[in-house]
Amino acid sequence: MNSEEQKPESNADGKGERRAAFEKVWKAPTGFEDWFKTVNNQPFGNRFMMTSFVFFLLAGVQALCMRAQLAVPDNDLLGPEIYNQLFTMHGATMMYLVILPFLEGLAIYLLPLILGTREMAFPRMSAFSYWVFFFGGVIFYTGYLFNAVPDTGWFVYPPVSLNEYSGLGLDFLLVGLGFIEIAGVGTGIEIATTILKFRAPGMSLGRMPLFAWAWLITAIMIIFAFATLFGATVMIEMDRALGTCFFRPQCGGTPLLWQHLFWFFGHPDVYIMFIPATGIVSMIIPAFARRPIAGYTLIAVAIMATGFLSFGLWVHHMFTTGIPLLSFGFFAAASLMIALASGTQVFAWLATLWRSSPDYKTPLLYVLGFLFLFVLGGVTGVMVAIVPFDWQVHDTYFVVAHFHYVLIGGVVFPILAGLHYWLPLIIGKMPSERLGKWSFWLIFIGFNLTFFPMHYMGLKGMARRVYTYPESLGLGWLNLISSASAFILGAGFLVVAYNVVYSRKRGVTAPRNPWNAGSLEWSVTAEMPNYVFLAPPVIRGREPLWDQSDEPHDPYLESIAKALKNEPAEWRAALVTDAVTGEPQAIQRVSGPSYFPIIAALGLLVTSVATLFQGYLVALVGTIFTIIVAGLWLWPRESELELMRRSKLPSKTGLPVEPTGSAAAPWWAMVGSLAVIGTIFGVLLYSYFYLRVYSPEWPQGSIKPPNFSGGAHYLLLLTSLGSILWARRAYNKADAASAAIALTVTALLAALFIAALSAQLADAEFAPSRNAYASIFHVTSWHMAALASGGALFLITAATRIAKHKNYLKGYTTLHLQITELCWYFTCVTALLVYLTLYVSPYAF
Amino acid sequence: MKETCSFLIIFLLPVIYAEAQIHSESSAITPAGYQAQVISEIWWWMLGISSFISALVLLLLIVGLKLRREGTPRPPGGDLWFIVSLGLVLPFVILTGLLLYMLIATNKLIPPNADLTINVTGHMWWWDVEYPAEKIRSANELYIPTGKDIRVELRSRDVIHSFWVPSLSGKTDAIPGLVNTHWLRAERPGTFWGACAEYCGLQHARMMFYVVALSPENYERWVNERKRSKVPTAAQSAGLNAFMDEGCSECHAIKGTNAQGDVGPDLTHIGSRLSLGSGTAVNNYGNLAAWIANPQAIKPGNKMPRAYLPPEQLHSLTSFLMALK
Repeated sequence: MNSEEQKPESNADGKGERRAAFEKVWKAPTGFEDWFKTVNNQPFGNRFMMTSFVFFLLAGVQALCMRAQLAVPDNDLLGPEIYNQLFTMHGATMMYLVILPFLEGLAIYLLPLILGTREMAFPRMSAFSYWVFFFGGVIFYTGYLFNAVPDTGWFVYPPVSLNEYSGLGLDFLLVGLGFIEIAGVGTGIEIATTILKFRAPGMSLGRMPLFAWAWLITAIMIIFAFATLFGATVMIEMDRALGTCFFRPQCGGTPLLWQHLFWFFGHPDVYIMFIPATGIVSMIIPAFARRPIAGYTLIAVAIMATGFLSFGLWVHHMFTTGIPLLSFGFFAAASLMIALASGTQVFAWLATLWRSSPDYKTPLLYVLGFLFLFVLGGVTGVMVAIVPFDWQVHDTYFVVAHFHYVLIGGVVFPILAGLHYWLPLIIGKMPSERLGKWSFWLIFIGFNLTFFPMHYMGLKGMARRVYTYPESLGLGWLNLISSASAFILGAGFLVVAYNVVYSRKRGVTAPRNPWNAGSLEWSVTAEMPNYVFLAPPVIRGREPLWDQSDEPHDPYLESIAKALKNEPAEWRAALVTDAVTGEPQAIQRVSGPSYFPIIAALGLLVTSVATLFQGYLVALVGTIFTIIVAGLWLWPRESELELMRRSKLPSKTGLPVEPTGSAAAPWWAMVGSLAVIGTIFGVLLYSYFYLRVYSPEWPQGSIKPPNFSGGAHYLLLLTSLGSILWARRAYNKADAASAAIALTVTALLAALFIAALSAQLADAEFAPSRNAYASIFHVTSWHMAALASGGALFLITAATRIAKHKNYLKGYTTLHLQITELCWYFTCVTALLVYLTLYVSPYAF
Repeated sequence: MKETCSFLIIFLLPVIYAEAQIHSESSAITPAGYQAQVISEIWWWMLGISSFISALVLLLLIVGLKLRREGTPRPPGGDLWFIVSLGLVLPFVILTGLLLYMLIATNKLIPPNADLTINVTGHMWWWDVEYPAEKIRSANELYIPTGKDIRVELRSRDVIHSFWVPSLSGKTDAIPGLVNTHWLRAERPGTFWGACAEYCGLQHARMMFYVVALSPENYERWVNERKRSKVPTAAQSAGLNAFMDEGCSECHAIKGTNAQGDVGPDLTHIGSRLSLGSGTAVNNYGNLAAWIANPQAIKPGNKMPRAYLPPEQLHSLTSFLMALK
């Protein structure tokens, strides 16, 4: 795209009008409305980054306070109470509110540019995720207003985090966490769908930039990891608020279950932050080396291997808990295998830089700093995977040093590299090189002086999370050096912030593609319009901006791109391509400005604040309100559908404007949501069997569990498989009336199931708070009932739509049925697993 | 005169108690125990290998950047060979070796049977120590014979704690509802510092303890000393009365008396303890009196309430306790 195309053309055949209409449909709201209504990827990318930077400043101040307390032995500057709050808030803020949200913001800002599309797949989801994240962060910090600051550590291990030992502050943390998890999975689904389906024509998986590869794997990991944490968070909040017994040793639960669930999230979470950082590095190094990345395929495979393996080594955070030695060998081996994946990436970057005579600008300096620090953090990571050594250094300052090398050296350095690198695309100005170099050296030197001595402190007996340490350890001087250097590090970050502000005001206007990079995002400038690309760019190789004269032209793709130039002009749309080949598949509508995202987020806020203060009635109202708002948000407007149905684009391009099945973005949203719900069921079933293996008797407390026939209501769901199959057959025969009836019957069966299940739970001889068995039985059943209710809502709306549009059994109507089927089959399969677990397994083995 | 003394003790000693120190070792890399020795050998090997790899990467980075090339970018020839050999094969060989070494070393750390079993129970924020065979109960310090395999059975009364003596061995968690086993074997006599290594609430930092390794003969002497009955003399009975009257016995036990509380540390041999408040202060007359008078000033948030005693009573109570050697 060149600048001439940015201006509206005016010629006789009405093209100028189309162009003006196109501009109008993509126009962002202005003024007050812009704040709460806009949905574009660019403002929300910026908002995520700026909000997380504010939280970063808070976390930095907390870190400096901690270092002040630790500067000398037996110090009583802050005392234990404040110190424990500080390390909790510092950890939780950095892990939940700073690093991942910043990376997500960068991804939301850049992905459409890098992939060559006009928008993220679900623009309102970006907005919703942002607001939910923002509210979550505010709830985190609300504790300061009530003098109830969480002080259990970011890992909230029970029993310290149960209500016997910690107060309201922890509820703020857990509820805020719930918000952040929702924002996390929302963003995860959105980013995965965007990368899989919203790529420029011709961008096959093999031509996709590594930034997108990294984010594809990360987004999938986010969905599973954050859904796990969501399940665990709800369970621990139930232990606190409702008196269930999952983690409470006095009534049959075990604190170790929490550690398993938490680290099943927590370990991948480290890679969720690290993989996008490697994606940044893999974009910057080729630009500075002026040659394509070496070992592209190896890096992509390494990223996939890292993502997969990261879910298999959570136990290496639990080597000291006394679990069987045999399992340690497996987890240690898995931990070491990840080192191979990281090694591959490091040497691929070295190979790319080899004899490349790069220009030592700030982004490259940060990348080089990263390479060095990440190797140091990596080798200590291998050390802590060695079980006996971990017994010695676990929960000591050695580990503090290790993970700061990984998270600051391995993640924050690439973030800073990326910030300086992409700043021209964000603020339109070049960052100051002088300030950039100052910040780099301050941060690099300050960081090493602060954290390198900590390796030694850990080996010399300094445990983690201590507000002070005895003079007899002999670590006074080292701690003083570390504390003083932390202020150098802090100064470095301030210089970074100043550089952004200064460059924005006084900086040199950035030219197009200032680094002469090869990736697509540099084909635009910071002045890009909302829709970024007037016509989809046709991709012929991995580096579209570098010489591509060897790559063949594809006339079909070029004709599609031409047809989509400032089209469709009546509604916002982007091209959907095949997930693997990048061949065009459909023209997908994307949503425009709306108040729904922020209203839905507010509804959720009301629900959770009410829950926090035990106002369960208000919470119920808030929930229903949120569901209604979400329904209005998702329901397509008939007028817009009419516009779409009148369009000439399908005949011109051969691509549908009402895609169905896997060509439609909403289908992927359903798949993603089901992955989340399925993961939460996974958490519950894992907990069920974990507690069973852990308990000397099962069910605990001589409870007689309901048997095969006690779960007879699950048969209703089995029957409903027949009625939904009937609906599909009728629909295929264009018999709308029968299809609608069949769907209604299915919904009725669901309602009967929910009623019977509720009756059984109400009559049960054991209350959820009796023991861990009772808790897991009830909570799994609740979740089953909630899933069936959600399925029933889809069934009823699908029946209504089919009955109403009996002459239009295609397009959105078909998609609605497909999504409903997907949801209902999933519900039935889940029900079978739940039935087997709760009703059959206690008798079967 | 006596009152002035008491005044000084109560109000000034908390300020200066930190001056006195218990000489102890706390380093994982200058080990005194068998387990720590094996682990520190692993450490030195890993440090060597890691330094080699880090230096290699740094060297390749510097050389690669120093070797310049004018004109067109370097063609991709040789890249794959470079990445696969250095990024995959080399680490694979090193890590496989390391994994095998680890499996062999781990097996060596668990002895087949125990010469002595000690039960240790974590409390917020102190350690209860019990020798079940010898019927000895103590707190915040373990006396062990050198050259013997000691099995420490770890339990917790409230939240998760972790038992760690860096000079002797790694750490193992004490988890409520579970019994964990931890092994110690001191190779030479000495006083070894230990600490709780799992965050356990407000005073996690002040949950320290000592392991005192004695030669087997000295250890025998120590056990016999503990077993001897300590009926208070008439001169001390005022202190015992104060102990019972002030409600100390609600929480603390002294063997051979009616004090049988089990909320706080057993005080049967409090006079011979190295430290007070789980390693917070050196144990001596002044610190003990200060602790009794206002434990919250020395270790804020601990579960012991302040005792409002007139100076004479505080003196007799402290003298009585210090005499419980």
